[in-house]
Amino acid sequence: MAYHSPYRAPPQINAPPDQSFLWNIFQRVDKDRSGVISDSELQQALSNGTWTPFNPVTVRSIISMFDRENKGGVNFNEFAGVWKYITDWQNIFRTYDRDNSGFIDRNELKQALTGFGYRLSDQFYGTLIEKFDRQRKGQVAFDDFIQCCIVLQRLTDVFRRYDTDQDGWIQVSYEQYLSMVFNVV
Amino acid sequence: MSFHYGQGYPRGGHPAQGNPYGGGQEGYRGPPGGGTGPTGGPYGGYGAPGYGGQYGHGPGGVPGGYGGQPYGGQPYGGQAYGGQAYGGQAYGGPNRYNAPAGNIPPGVNPEAYQWFYSVDADQSGFINSKELKQALVNSNWSNFNDETCLMMINMFDKTRSGRVDLFGFSALWDYIQQWRALFQQYDRDRSGSISGTELHQVLTQMGYKLSPQFSEMLVQRYGGRGGPQGIQLDRFIQACTQLQSMTQVFRERDTGMTGNVRLSYEDFLAGAVTRLM
Repeated sequence: MAYHSPYRAPPQINAPPDQSFLWNIFQRVDKDRSGVISDSELQQALSNGTWTPFNPVTVRSIISMFDRENKGGVNFNEFAGVWKYITDWQNIFRTYDRDNSGFIDRNELKQALTGFGYRLSDQFYGTLIEKFDRQRKGQVAFDDFIQCCIVLQRLTDVFRRYDTDQDGWIQVSYEQYLSMVFNVV
Repeated sequence: MSFHYGQGYPRGGHPAQGNPYGGGQEGYRGPPGGGTGPTGGPYGGYGAPGYGGQYGHGPGGVPGGYGGQPYGGQPYGGQAYGGQAYGGQAYGGPNRYNAPAGNIPPGVNPEAYQWFYSVDADQSGFINSKELKQALVNSNWSNFNDETCLMMINMFDKTRSGRVDLFGFSALWDYIQQWRALFQQYDRDRSGSISGTELHQVLTQMGYKLSPQFSEMLVQRYGGRGGPQGIQLDRFIQACTQLQSMTQVFRERDTGMTGNVRLSYEDFLAGAVTRLM
């Protein structure tokens, strides 16, 4: 878990949203008024643009990124980070979802990930679509796209730590291999 | 800096602790009826349980019919898993509304048959992950976590529709009961959770050759907010299933059975993406 460095916000490009604006949203999402937004509260508040419930696994991934005290939710301060994180992804997603369908297809996924610096074979994009296409449409919705990127990033990080000579190959024992992949789940 | 592989998310990345994606579990899909009992014991240098085929298999690879527990294909008389104190029980008892009168289809566990109609809250004839989650509780009365429910639905969902019919549910039911029997057997202090030490004993008994540290790591990863006390039944099922799955991935690449593999970046990604989450 050593590589799970604390989340650092990317440099602020746009002005941060107004606090009272965020507070308004926070209060609406925090349905039980506990001061902490839980997984299910966030899930209900989020839309993936396709009228299906937001992927609960993506919700858990996002909450755990910002939940510093491991309390199972985010408080108002942490929520500002969640808000920014999701809107950043939304902007990225929209630039690739050109027809605003709420989905990106295999080519668009390839363009997006290539834009992030990944160099992956066409076959592997097929694997990704197969895996993250939760709605079985041959395309990936917004929530699943985020999850796909999170998973790829984590796997890449852990691979990179073992690939000390950076040649794109690693040699690992059985237990090392398991430790690598279980660090990602 | 330049890598052969991607730089990841462009803005510094957001590494984070999280949970597996609940997508399909490739290795488990297939025609029903392939139920096999324990298959094989220690394997090569890292003895690990074999997959018991596609469907309805037990934890697989438990050497020598451990502890005399009935396994795959045995009738479930309640003896083997009767402990009410433990999880996996559905709320409300099997008679929230009655199962239709008539004969239980062949191959369906009679108990699962009863449960099916109480878990299928919307009476659709199918059980989805949400209905399953509401029906399953751990020994501390927490509901099963989303990922485990999703994982199990995907394992027994032949049509990739995100739900299981009666037959799929029956197999899923057996699967849970088998893990629960194992869980109870190794929860020696009857705490309702499995500690790192207890998990190490389970895995060793199943034929895995892994260090005690590895089990501790698993408990930490899956223990979540439960803290150091250990893992509940849902996480136990999740951890063990994924361990089987990833062992299989490793084994497929370790053709010389040396216990070591050389992996390219993309092969590493593909193995984890298709089988892990």
